[in-house]
Parts: sequence; C-alpha cells; structure tokens
Amino acid sequence: MPKRRRADGTDADDEPTPQKPRRSARKEAEAVASPTIPVETPSKRKSILRGTPSNVNGTFTAEPTPKSLRKVLFTTPAKLEEEANLPTQETPTAARNDRSARRKSQRTLHKDITGDASSGEDDDVRDEALAHAILGEDDSDDDEEELELAELPATTDTPTKPGKLRGRPKGRRRERTPSPPPDLPPHELYFFQNRAGGNKTSANALPSQLLLNYEEYFAQVSAYQDSHARDIKRLQQLHRRALDQWKFELEEHFNICLYGYGSKSELITHFAEHVHQQADTAQKIVIVNGYTPGLTMRDVLATLASVVLPKSAKLPAQPAAMLDYLLSSLSDMSPSAPVLLIIQSLDHSNLRKPLAQSLIARLAAHPNISLVATCDTPTFPLLWDVTLTRQLRFVYHDATTFQAYKAEIDAVEEVNALLGRSGRRLGGKDGIGFVLKSLPENARNLFRILVAEQLALADADPDPVFGAADGEDELDPDDILGAEDEEEAANEQHTPSRRGRGRPAKKAKPAKPPRPIVSGHEGVEYRTLYHKAVEEFVCSSELNFRTLLKEFHDHQMIESRKDAVGTERLTVPFRREELEAILEELV
Amino acid sequence: MEYEKAYVFRAEDERPAKRQRTEAQGLHTSWKTRRQAYQTVWQTQKEAIDTKLAQIDDATVDELSTFLGHAVQTPYVDRIPTGIILQGADGGCTALTQLTKRLDSAKRRLVVLSSSTGSNLKAILKTLVQKATRADIGVDEDETEDSHRSRPNATKLLNYDLQILHNFVIEKGIEQVIVTFEDTEAFNLEILSEVIELLSCWVDRIPLVCLFNIATDVDALQRLSKTAIKCLDGKLFDVAPSGDAVEQVVEALVTSGSPLWLGAGLLGMALERQKDYIQSIGSLVDSVQYAFMSAYYANALTVFLVQPRKEEVTGDYAEALRALASFHAFAEDLLKRRETGRLRELFNDDKQVYQLAIHHIEEGQRALRRMIVAVRVIRTMQQNLPQTATSSLSNLYTQAMSGRLPGSTLLRSLLLLAKKVPSDVSVALLEAVLEVEGFGTVAETSRPLLDQLRDLISQQKDTAQLLRSEDDVKNATLRTTVVAQKVELSKQKSALSEQDKAYTSLLAKIASMFEQYFNESIVDPKTLLFHEIFIYDQKSPYREVFTPRPRHAIERALASPHDYLDCDCCAPDRDGEEATLSSTQPPTAILYQLYLESGNLINASDLWQAFQAVIGDEKEEAEAMALFQRGLAELRSLGMMKPTRKRVDHVAKVLWRGL
Repeated sequence: MPKRRRADGTDADDEPTPQKPRRSARKEAEAVASPTIPVETPSKRKSILRGTPSNVNGTFTAEPTPKSLRKVLFTTPAKLEEEANLPTQETPTAARNDRSARRKSQRTLHKDITGDASSGEDDDVRDEALAHAILGEDDSDDDEEELELAELPATTDTPTKPGKLRGRPKGRRRERTPSPPPDLPPHELYFFQNRAGGNKTSANALPSQLLLNYEEYFAQVSAYQDSHARDIKRLQQLHRRALDQWKFELEEHFNICLYGYGSKSELITHFAEHVHQQADTAQKIVIVNGYTPGLTMRDVLATLASVVLPKSAKLPAQPAAMLDYLLSSLSDMSPSAPVLLIIQSLDHSNLRKPLAQSLIARLAAHPNISLVATCDTPTFPLLWDVTLTRQLRFVYHDATTFQAYKAEIDAVEEVNALLGRSGRRLGGKDGIGFVLKSLPENARNLFRILVAEQLALADADPDPVFGAADGEDELDPDDILGAEDEEEAANEQHTPSRRGRGRPAKKAKPAKPPRPIVSGHEGVEYRTLYHKAVEEFVCSSELNFRTLLKEFHDHQMIESRKDAVGTERLTVPFRREELEAILEELV
Repeated sequence: MEYEKAYVFRAEDERPAKRQRTEAQGLHTSWKTRRQAYQTVWQTQKEAIDTKLAQIDDATVDELSTFLGHAVQTPYVDRIPTGIILQGADGGCTALTQLTKRLDSAKRRLVVLSSSTGSNLKAILKTLVQKATRADIGVDEDETEDSHRSRPNATKLLNYDLQILHNFVIEKGIEQVIVTFEDTEAFNLEILSEVIELLSCWVDRIPLVCLFNIATDVDALQRLSKTAIKCLDGKLFDVAPSGDAVEQVVEALVTSGSPLWLGAGLLGMALERQKDYIQSIGSLVDSVQYAFMSAYYANALTVFLVQPRKEEVTGDYAEALRALASFHAFAEDLLKRRETGRLRELFNDDKQVYQLAIHHIEEGQRALRRMIVAVRVIRTMQQNLPQTATSSLSNLYTQAMSGRLPGSTLLRSLLLLAKKVPSDVSVALLEAVLEVEGFGTVAETSRPLLDQLRDLISQQKDTAQLLRSEDDVKNATLRTTVVAQKVELSKQKSALSEQDKAYTSLLAKIASMFEQYFNESIVDPKTLLFHEIFIYDQKSPYREVFTPRPRHAIERALASPHDYLDCDCCAPDRDGEEATLSSTQPPTAILYQLYLESGNLINASDLWQAFQAVIGDEKEEAEAMALFQRGLAELRSLGMMKPTRKRVDHVAKVLWRGL
C-alpha cells in the first residue's frame, strides 16, 4: 500500500498549511481503519476472509489491495478479477452445490434476524461474487470504465480518490444502478428504496469547512439574486387578489388556514394591511410568529389580552385560566368587531402540543375571534381531531409562495443539527468572544487556563495532527467504519472526541505506538484544571469552580466527558488555530 | 417584527390614500347587493336548518331533562345517577348544547370534562372543582377566592379537594352538579374509574349526576373497574344517528324556498364526504354555507336573484348573460326555429336580455320546485308500495338535479309496480300522494280517479275480497306444454271478474297519470335557461377549501415548480411531460428532486456534489453552499428528512412522494 505509506510519512513535514494536516489526517485515519474491518461484525469478517485473505493476514503483497478499502468506503460490492478467480471461485460454487435451497434460505433468514443490516449487504456481496464467477469477466472492462466515469465528479474533493481510482476493482454494477426503473408507482418506489441491502451510499464525508457559518451564510444569501424573483412576485400578486375573498370568509365566521411551500409572512402582512385599510373602525390585529424560539401559549394569550382587556386587568397565570378569562371578556365585546388573530406556523413545534392546539381551537371557535393561520409542514391536518377541526372551522387555501423562509428557519443551525455537528453552534470563536465578554474576570481567566492547557497538551501530543483539533473532522473517517455498529455511531456522533474511549480495539490494530493517555484531543483533566485555577486564584472552592464551568457548559463552549479510566476531561471543541486565536484575545 | 413572538399589528401609515382603489369596477360593482342578498338568503336557510336539526334531538333532550329532573327529586346515597348518551360518531354535542340551554343555570351546574383536561386524577378533579365553582361572568376572580378563605374557621383547602365543591353547593344552594365526560373513550379508563369511585363517595353530600358521551358502544364502559361500575346507576339515551341529520339538512335546503339551488355534483360530493369520513353535521352545514358564499361572491350574475337596482346593472352583465352556455343553447334553438328577429333583439338590446333572465330565472325556480314535489311523490309512492325501499331524499334530490331521474329504472319499476297492486294498496297510495303538498295541479285528474276507485270497491259484493290487477303475477299461472317435442311456455290469466277488469283499466289510467306527471314535472335542470345563475354546481372551490391536499401541494411545488411559477426557464421540454431537473429551478426544488431519487439514507456529501453539479459551475462554491444549506434546512423543517445515527454525514429520508 504505497499510497498509505506516503501519506503516513509525509503529512507531518511537508504540508505546513493548516488545511492539509487535516486532510492527511483523514487519509491516515482511513488507512488505519481499513484493516480493522474484520473486527467489526462477524458477518463482515467472513466476507472479507473469503474475499481477501491476504489482507487479514496482514501480509501486504506487492499487488495493491485497495478493494477492502473501497468496499468499506464505497460499499460497492465489486470484486477484483483475481479475487474472483482465487479462493472465491471454489467456495461459493461449493457452497452452492452442497447446500440445499431450503437450508440456504433458512440461513439467510437466520442471519437477517440475528445480524444487523449489514449482513444483508454481505449477502449481496457474496451473491454478486457468485454471479461474477459464473458469468465470467467478459463485460467487466466496459463496466469498469463506465463506473469510473460515473464516479469521477462525485469524488473530486475527497482526498481518498486517487487511491481509489488506481487498481479499481472490476465490478458488475450494471444491474445495481441507484436510479430505479422509471415510472415506478409511489409505493413501489418506496419498497425499491427501502429494500434490504439496496441502499448503498458512499462513505464520503462532507468536509466541515464547506458548511458556512452564520456570517458567511447571511452574506451569501443576501447577495443571492433569485432568477425567479419576477415569477415569485407574480405568484404573490395572484394570492393578493384573493385577499377580499378571505376577508369575506372571515366575516362569515370561517377561519382561514394557508398552506403550501414558501414563507407566507409577507402575504400575511399584506393581508393585515388590507384588513386594516378596509376596516371602518380600528381593526384589532394580533400577529403571532409561531416559529420564534421559545414561544408559548402564554405569550399568545398575553398579547391577545393586551388588545382585548383593559390595561389594568389582572391575568391569571395558567394558560387555560387565561383563556377562560379572555373568552368571557370577549363575549362581552360587541360582536361587530372581531379581533383578527394571525398565527404564523401554527404547526411549528412550539405550538404542536395538544394542549396548545386545543386552546387555539377554543379561541378560534369564539365568534369574536377571526383566526388566520399558516401551516408549513405537509402533514399538519393530523394535528387536529374531529373536535378540534370542528372548533377551528378552517377553510384552506393553497398559498404557495416560493419565498424563502427567512425568519422561520435558522438554516445554519438546522443543517448543523441535521448533520449532527454540534460544535459549531456558537458560530466559531466570535461567539465565544462574545460570551466571554459578558462573563466576569474570573471566568475569562478560567477559560484562558483551559485553552492554554489544551494547547499545551496538544503540543505535547506526539500526534499533533489530532491535537486539539476540530472534533468533527477527525471523527468522520473514523466513524464511517463504525457505521455498521449503529449504537456506537449514535453515541459518537454528537460527542466527537469520545473516539478514544469508544474504539480501543481499532486503535490497537495499527502498528503504532500506543498513545499517551493524556493527549490533547482527550481534553484537560478536571482535577488538573481545578488545581491550576486555584493556583491562579481564579476560584477558591470546587463549588465556585463548578459554577464557572456551568456557564461555559450552558453556552456549549466546553464539552466534558469521562475517558477510559473514568476521569473527567474537559475540552474546548475548536480547531487548533481557533484556540490559538482565542487565547491571543484572552491574553 | 418578524422575529417577535407576538405583537399587535400597527399599520405603518395610517389610512393611506389607497382606499379608493377598493371601489370596484365592472362586474364587481354589484358585490354589495349580492352580499346583502347572500346574507338574507343564508339567514333564512340557516334558520331552517337549525330548526330541523333541533327537532331531531328534541326527543332525546326531553328524556334527558326529565331524567335529570328526576335525579334532583330523589336523593341518591350510594350510587351516582348516570346518563349514557350514545351519539354515534357525530362528535358534535348538539344534544348537550340544547340541554345546556334548558338548564336553569342558577341552580344546576354543568361541568364538561374532556379527555384533554388532565392526565391524572388530581388534574381532572382540579378542573372539575374549578369549572363547577366558577362564578358567573362578571364576578371578579379574586372575589371567589376570597369567599373560600373568608368562610369561618375554614382551613385552606387544596384546589382539587371536593370539599370546595361541597361548600359551594351548600353556599349557593345548588340542586345538581352535572359532570359530563365529553369523549369517554378517549379518557384513560383507570383514571376515569378512580374519578367515578371518588365521586361516588361524595354523592351523599353533593347532588352529582354523571353524563357519558359515547361515540362507539356501551361496551366502552365495561372496561371501567368493577367498583366504578357498581357506583353508577346508568340509563341509556340514544341520539338520532347522523344520517337522519343529513336528511334533515337536505330537507331544509329544498324547502326553505331559497332562490339558490345546490347542484348534484357539489351536494353529492359534500354528502359523500359526510358519509365517508367522520364529520359532525356542522361540517355539512359549513359546506352548504360555503357553497352559498361562493355562489354569491364569484358569480356576479347572482345579482339577478334579487331585484337589482337599475344603475347597478351595466352592459357587462348583459355580456355575461350572453356568454352563458345555456344562453348559447337557447340562441341556437331560436335559430332553428327561425326566430332570428327575437335573437337579434336579445343581442342588441340589453334590457331584453335582463327581462329574459329575470323571467327565466323565475321559470326555472318554479320548475325546480315542481321537481321537488315530484321527488316527494316518488318517495310517498315508495313508502306505500310493497317491496320497495324508500330512497332517501338526499339521494333522490341529487339524482333529480343531475337529470338522471327521467327514464331511470327507479321510475319505471315504480310505475310497473303501481299497475300490479291490489285495491287496498292503490287506494292508500292515491290518498297518500294527494296529501303531498303542491301536488294540486295533478290532483284534478287524480282525485276523480280515486273517486272511481272507491266506487269500484263499494260496488263489490264480497268486501273481504280485494280487487286484483290483471298484471299481478298472482293472477296468472305459467303453463308448460310439450308440443311436437318443443316446450311451450304459456301464460294464462286466471279468470278475472268484471270488477277486476274494471280495476285493471283504472290502474292503467292511474299509472299513465303518474307517468305523465313525472314526465311533466321532472326536468333536467341543465336544460333550463340561465340555470348557471340559480343552480350552483361548482366543485372547485369546495374541494380545495374543505379537502385540501397540503402534502400534494408542497410536493408538487418542489417537484415541478413550473406549475406554480409559470416561468419560461423551467418549462418542461415536451408537452405533457413532467418537468425534469434543471439548473434554473429554485434550489430547494433541485435538492428535493435529488432527494426523491435517493434511497432511505442519503449521504450529505454526495447530495452536495450532485446539487453542485446540477446548479452549475458558474456559481461560486460558497453561494451554492448557502443555497444548499437553505434547501436542506427547508426540507428538514418541512419534515422530509431527519438526522440519522446510522451513518455519519447521512440524513434519513422521511417522505416518499405520492405516498
């Protein structure tokens, strides 16, 4: 494996840019990881044993064996020519001969039950090898070329690509194209895409520096010119023609529910303005933004109360009681001027609780309240049972606007949460600087000590690449291997640097000296930090120390976990450069 | 303001000059008139429906209130008097609301508990106590609290203590506390059992009555604990099934005399929805109201249903009238009859068209009313004829409005059957039909027929013997004879008396009378001139407004944005083909289509690569990434993908299109 060796040897010296070490780290991690597949699951091991005996023995022949690496990374069940010819040729045929169909199916069944999802894939691999052996390699050459072409654009920026392309094993992927036969009915498509072992995705990881942080994101989004701006505007105009109709519907004591793709806040504002202009007397309009984080029913009711009730009125504390009070005073109002209540994103998780929905429904049922609600999710009608639907008395209008959900969706945060990247929540070091500015001197000092310690540890670490580096990136390639082990992956995804604890077996595998127990990425030991803090008069008692730490925790500036021995360790989840920058600012 | 939780809307500029713009032009000028017309029409319609609906429940409500009255007089010591109200799947507590109206609220307290009030005993009791002791509107809350405390030597009670209720009952002299469980099935039955057991402990001090609303079956209560069941002294009340309510609504629709009629398509759809889904009767009423609203709102010509003021009716209306399909048919008919002069008049003189419209609208209304009478006659006949099921009014009405009734098997079999009936049935039939209101025009011919029939019967010597018709199968015997190795089937009429023969011919007269009547009075409403004005039969707004398909709308918007945007750039290549992926589409739509292509797990990195490839290289990476992130975030918050822990940097697919 010349490629790997090169990677191992060179990364420390001749790649001085901050970006590069990370990459080579990944490369190394992959390389390190690949031979460890056999210990993953028994089924996996078996397949590889059969497929590439040389790999397991650890004797690297001159012939490059990238297939194991490939198989894991790309999970394409391709086989080398040699591979198919060598041991596999006998075994599958023999197996086929001596096994009855019944026994085989039983075995498969058993495997499916006991093993995890990967065993299915494993079966596929074997079956394909079998098919390969039977059909011969006549057409494999074309296949390979085709495949390479297809893969080329997809892997342009993953560093593992060169290794993959060279010595690419031949495969029969023709019948395994990811795109389904055209024109499948929806349910067939569902089963097609959910078939056992059918879903093979590559193990490419999204480089984390690609994702934009808030600053970059907003810069880009505000600069972005939508080519459809005119059409969107026209759509908006279409909706605005219905405003009069909606008003009429409200006056007839229906409530309105707007659904469809796109932000409806502009439309809603137009409607409010429209109603305001048309009203003879001052129309009371209350707008609730259901998507604002932390919105509760109490906020809604309190705002409504500020319109309905005199200022001096004392509101009960409980939402239900508030509502009762509100409704009774609404009943006293003249019925001619109902309050227009506009709730945006009624189906947002803030308001999705049954209690909130039933309170809103009761509000909406009152003749002196007109409700206009917007719903974004495709399945919102499931929120309401018969009684609620009856109370809400909605007429529904398709208000697809195609406008961006500017206020409704926090895109950066959503994507981070979707991809399980928690460390970036603060938006980088700027966020930390912001928090630190608002904290007392002691806290700042403590954080400085922590960062300094972490950097020091990283410097002491023989493997600086892994240093106090950015957690996700070092994690990704490693975790891919663990992907079969779902629970492990689940635990790990949000706690990147638990790696050390979670997978000791893998670490033992590569022929590398065992790491020192205290390495930079493992974080600073709690005790050590405490003592340092006491030494520098940052705090006097452990309670004091804890309080300071809690503040950091709350802002997700530090992460804490127990290592293999059980000692608590604290980390600042940032890349080395960022840590250095933070330290500079603090000092 | 977008980021505030909730705020009171204030217009940026107070009363701008834009207001004049609302002055309508063209056909919209009559909206005010139409709106008034709508309001009066709907008002009467609504009242008609309400009274009909109230009648249904009247019996049950009567029973319930006597039951409750009885419970007041006889004190219960060990068991709670309980009313079990079976109200079907309706869900709407129409009976209960009417009951509330009848109750003397000063002396009786009605507490409605729904399953959402609480998930534990404490919460339910708390609500119960609160609702029961709540002071009438107008009294400040603090006062009531004070009244609890100010009781001499009273310790502060916990808010779920039934002692509070007891004190309240004594203080105010309450005769009865009615605890109603709104959706009994939805309650956690263990907790409900506990509540019942606890209440039964207090029944000797608090005059309690329980009412259970049950949607399914009494068996639902069997799952209560045995002790709880022992505490109940139950009585069953059956509320009329919702099917009756539907009929009543239709009845009200056809009898209220409203100038607007609902067409077969629309009403059929509403009725079907009512039947297929569990809907309260209110939703049908809503549908009807919405149909009235859309008719008056969207069809400017409905202004002719009232007497429009002269200045409102402009040339546009004449044009609109002339554009109607039924007018086209009428015009063609005139041409065929070579009445070109009349046609020219209609085209040149707006006034003529108006008069024609007003005249024919009245004509059409009359025709429709005649048809309703005919429908009633059909029903009466069905009721009186043996071996015929009576069709529901709603069913017959939709059939009649769709124009399928003339020549239908239903009518033909009815007439055939009428020829066969013995004399007692035919007399009853004629009598019953004559009872039908509005049958008068035909009565002139049918009354003499009845008299003849009566004469015939009275002439008969043996009064016990009924007169039989010749067509009655009972009077004929089938005979098979073998003639030259062929089977001959011959029907032989049994010997008929003179009277029977006379009766048969009379029956034939009666039948032909009915046939003629039906031919005259049952018309195809679609053939009436200007039926578009007084029959509203548009499915379109109804369907979208009451049975929305939000998921489909979102999927369609994302899968083929051209359908909504109607832009030049994303138009599908070939006609009729669905739009394919193209770089010009909105970014989220591109992402969604890529998402549709992938399996249940999606690699985010590969998705990004594909997205970047589609959106084009000319875009900077950062810009494309921003759009990618935005798209991902949108798809996530639309509930289409969720994070997965199965593999790193993967997302799980949640929604399949069209499923």
